[in-house]
Amino acid sequence: MNMKIFIAIFLIIPLFASLSSFIVKNKRFAEYISLFSSSLDLIGAFVILYFVLNFKPVFLFNNAIAIDKFSAYLILLVGIVYFLSSMYGISYMRLAIENEKMTDKEFFRYELFLNLFALTMLIAPMINNMAVYLIDIELTTIVSSFLVISEVTEKSIEAAWKYILVVSSGISLALLGTILFYLSGNIPGSANIVSSLDWTALRLNAGYLNKDIALIAFVLIVIGLGTKVGLAPMHTWVPDAYSEAPSPVSAMLSASLENVALYGIIRYFGIAGRSIGFGYPEAILIIVGIFSIFIGIMGIIYQNGTKRLFAYSSIEHMGIITIGFGLGGVFGTFGALLQMLGHTLAKSTMFFGAGNFLHKFKTKNIKKIKGVFYVMPKTAFLFSLGSVALIGGPPSVVFISEFLIILQSLKDGYYWITVLLVGFLLTAFVSLLSKTGSMVFGKADDNFNAEKGDFSPFSYVPMLLPLSASLILGFYIPESLHSLLIGIVHIIK
Amino acid sequence: MLGYSMPLYIYVIEDLLVSMILLSSFVMLSSRWISFYIHAYGFQSFLIFVLTLIIGIEAQSVDLYIVAFLTLFVRTIFVPYILLKMIKKFNIKEEVKLSLKIPFSIISGVVLTIFAYFLIYRLISAFSPKIVVNAGSIALSLIFVGFFMIISRFTTITHILGLLVIENGIFLLSVVVVPTLPIIVELVVLFDILVTVAAMLILSMFMKMRTGSFSTAMLNRLVG
Repeated sequence: MNMKIFIAIFLIIPLFASLSSFIVKNKRFAEYISLFSSSLDLIGAFVILYFVLNFKPVFLFNNAIAIDKFSAYLILLVGIVYFLSSMYGISYMRLAIENEKMTDKEFFRYELFLNLFALTMLIAPMINNMAVYLIDIELTTIVSSFLVISEVTEKSIEAAWKYILVVSSGISLALLGTILFYLSGNIPGSANIVSSLDWTALRLNAGYLNKDIALIAFVLIVIGLGTKVGLAPMHTWVPDAYSEAPSPVSAMLSASLENVALYGIIRYFGIAGRSIGFGYPEAILIIVGIFSIFIGIMGIIYQNGTKRLFAYSSIEHMGIITIGFGLGGVFGTFGALLQMLGHTLAKSTMFFGAGNFLHKFKTKNIKKIKGVFYVMPKTAFLFSLGSVALIGGPPSVVFISEFLIILQSLKDGYYWITVLLVGFLLTAFVSLLSKTGSMVFGKADDNFNAEKGDFSPFSYVPMLLPLSASLILGFYIPESLHSLLIGIVHIIK
Repeated sequence: MLGYSMPLYIYVIEDLLVSMILLSSFVMLSSRWISFYIHAYGFQSFLIFVLTLIIGIEAQSVDLYIVAFLTLFVRTIFVPYILLKMIKKFNIKEEVKLSLKIPFSIISGVVLTIFAYFLIYRLISAFSPKIVVNAGSIALSLIFVGFFMIISRFTTITHILGLLVIENGIFLLSVVVVPTLPIIVELVVLFDILVTVAAMLILSMFMKMRTGSFSTAMLNRLVG
């Protein structure tokens, strides 16, 4: 089939789902059309990946759309979380309407913006022009801020306001960086003019860019897009927005939006590295990454909220991924890419589990949740396995990726990074497991009088699928995934 | 601007315009009333429109004409109109709560402007005439002043205006320093302004309905 038509249909499906669910105003219809469109898009993401892997990169509409292996990988990651979230959303939203007096209006607004959010995230990795990419990131902010206030409370309004204000100002800095990148290729009087903002063109002609301006521009990009990724010290909105959003939205924010924003930083990383040499950009990424891990772990240790716990864990994971890219080399970059996948799978499991706890125990406070194993055994089993997978317990894909990143730091001789990383990871291991353990085990309160038992299969199957994928990938990485990631490593460097 | 050679009187006019733009940002820093802010923002946008139009005419660039008139419609007329209407609808007469006193705000603005000048001077003075350095540093100072307005004032409307001033600064920088920027970038930035302002207004309306105020000083529940 013609690739142009395929991409167009691929993007129209979520748009159609969001509009039709908003127009028809039937709850069952809205739930299942989201699930249907997300499963079609997941299949579509696999098709795009297959095409790019076996044939060649896709360039469409006068190079406005450019999909190489890296983009296709990101599209797949977004597709996975979109599918899982819309499946889990069926259970979560039914319970929210039942228990938390969610109104019909709020429900249909949620379905409208959920699919639009997925659409903006699916477009982002395809866009070639970096300024348009940034505006698309800004659109994801606006759409998801309405998802954060799915249930309008004072807290959720506060979270959404912080989110939109902090991230918009961050994106404007990134826009400034993009304009400076353009300036660096358009110095009057220089022999070579790079008059384009497409990353393909910038990457090809990176040698002609003005080095001083490219350096400042890259710093601005890291600050700006780092706000969206949630890298410390620009992470302030992350715990608020993740904890106040409904769980399916938290999963999408954490597991796919962060990756999509990091994608932009890494594209610029490639351009800046080719222009000014990789030494300086790598140092920036490593410093930001280590600081993010530190802040994330501090947040985990003193944490009382379930979803805030996983928000800080997201900051920590993004720090690890950033360090992986910053260390460079085959192991580091490969590990960072694999960690993106592992983070996506494990973090969606955890947010879904936290959503189930919220509905059963009616609280987000870790200290008030006890003995989940007796109350909802299936969720508790998956949740405890998931927390081991999240922090890099051995039979999971996160273990392999973190191991590879540590290996790269040893190989390059950055022993202080190795020591710091191992120390941080062990701290995260202990502190996160103690928190989740105290929730899952122990004895439920005597005055806990909610009905025992799990919710419908829609509440735990979305946890089971990514968790089993994460565990299987820990034992065996298929040849196709391996060659894909190796291909991306060569694209970045 | 950069990359075009222009007659002298254009340089004089441009110097005048950018200095008035700088003045308007200081007007915002020194005022206590929200409607004052909005009028200053509209005036600033109008000056940017005139500047863009003059550069467009001299450079004979159709792209710049289009961008200039879109600036006139969106930044100068539409956004201030919506903000003023919002204020009227909710009958806001409250003063802006400031975390810093006005004289200190102005001194901070001066410091930020000087910092912006040095930054731009180091970056682009090697290959650009003095007039571009001046205009570019004022554009950068608008960005800094916008950030300063966001952190030093506790009202949703001034937060929005701070973002808009940042956006103005970026636009001014792109017009004077890289006038050859593809028009698609300017268009999506304008679209972005519209959507962001709409979203933030809706959010602040929710906030008004829940908390009875536009003040952001009470947004302190989520910590840790």
